[in-house]
Amino acid sequence: MRMPVIRSMLAAAVALAASATLVAQGAPAGQGGRGATAPAANPGPAPAKDLTGIWFMRNPPGKNGPWTNFTYTDPMKNPPSLTAWGEEEFKKARDSNGGNYTLDQTNDPVLTKCYPPGVPRVYFHPYPFEVLQTPKQTLLIYEYDHWLRRVATDGRSLPNDPDLLWMGTSVGKWIDDRNFQVETVGLNTRTWLDRLGHVHSEQLKVTENFRRIDRDHLELDIKMEDPKALAKPWTTTFYYENRPQWELGEISCSGDYLDWAAVEKGGKDYKK
Amino acid sequence: MTRKLMLVFGLIAVLAFGARPVLAHHGGAAFDQANTQTLTGTVTRMDFVNPHVVVYFNVKGADGATTEWSGWLTAPNKLQRAGWDKHTLNPGDKVTVTGNQQKNGSPVLQIRKIAGPDGKELPTFES
Repeated sequence: MRMPVIRSMLAAAVALAASATLVAQGAPAGQGGRGATAPAANPGPAPAKDLTGIWFMRNPPGKNGPWTNFTYTDPMKNPPSLTAWGEEEFKKARDSNGGNYTLDQTNDPVLTKCYPPGVPRVYFHPYPFEVLQTPKQTLLIYEYDHWLRRVATDGRSLPNDPDLLWMGTSVGKWIDDRNFQVETVGLNTRTWLDRLGHVHSEQLKVTENFRRIDRDHLELDIKMEDPKALAKPWTTTFYYENRPQWELGEISCSGDYLDWAAVEKGGKDYKK
Repeated sequence: MTRKLMLVFGLIAVLAFGARPVLAHHGGAAFDQANTQTLTGTVTRMDFVNPHVVVYFNVKGADGATTEWSGWLTAPNKLQRAGWDKHTLNPGDKVTVTGNQQKNGSPVLQIRKIAGPDGKELPTFES
């Protein structure tokens, strides 16, 4: 039974791809300093202990890219190992994966309520993020909804009894000249881990390792640990390219984002 | 579960073939993804605003009647980084638009490709 279902899904997937006429296109020269600049063929070395810049997700050839946009690992070959509680909660999810949904069909809290995305779900929005460093904190600024994470680098420890926040409480430290580790706890439970609808509890701890490969490339290892939701840690790696000519713009999940349902019902604009 | 798997396989194919979700944040299920159509018309206005850039354009039908369509693109940030600004398309400009129509037949289009007055295709995403 399983194989025919999978074959039919593959056929549907190929048909979907064939119908998708939007092909990768080269961007024109930038205007206002906001155009694209592809990384150099031989980018210079990574500066020591420096992540500053704007980073945009780009999967290198041969890397396990497809999953990284909406969930962390291949859901068929390497799904997360969930606890019984995690499984039960996951059954309640009506996902927003793959773009094939309307607002009426999903219960993704980001899309239907404009909830903040949380960590690491914030990386599933197709917008860049910027890193700014000061002596006592590193700022992670996400274009999507202007989210800001303050990563303390003043040597403090993680709180033992953190308040529950949308983006948690983070501390960071340089492991060596190229690896910056961020640990985050205190994430409230109203967000999903991904766009398939995997949940987490207040026990979630996220460890991110930002590894600057060279001047233009960044790898981000993510480990999620949550003894209530995950039977074992869930790990993945995201890939980013530097976009030195870009500036972050404005994206606010409010108003028209939710009023999009009017367009989905056939309206010519958001207005009701 | 079957829907989840379908979506996952769809995602694999979309990404493997170099395409991507057109609307970035929102889904496309309200539009007829199995069929695309190409329309030629005249821009009436363009809203270069968050969360989606919208191009409104008049199309003259075979019966001579004019219908105003709205065509939906990704976020203005993304188009700006691809070279657009709020003056890229202006009222009176001739455009050729390819996309997926709203399933209920409304004159609403999820834009896949768009060419401006000079006939050249405009990029619809940053790179």
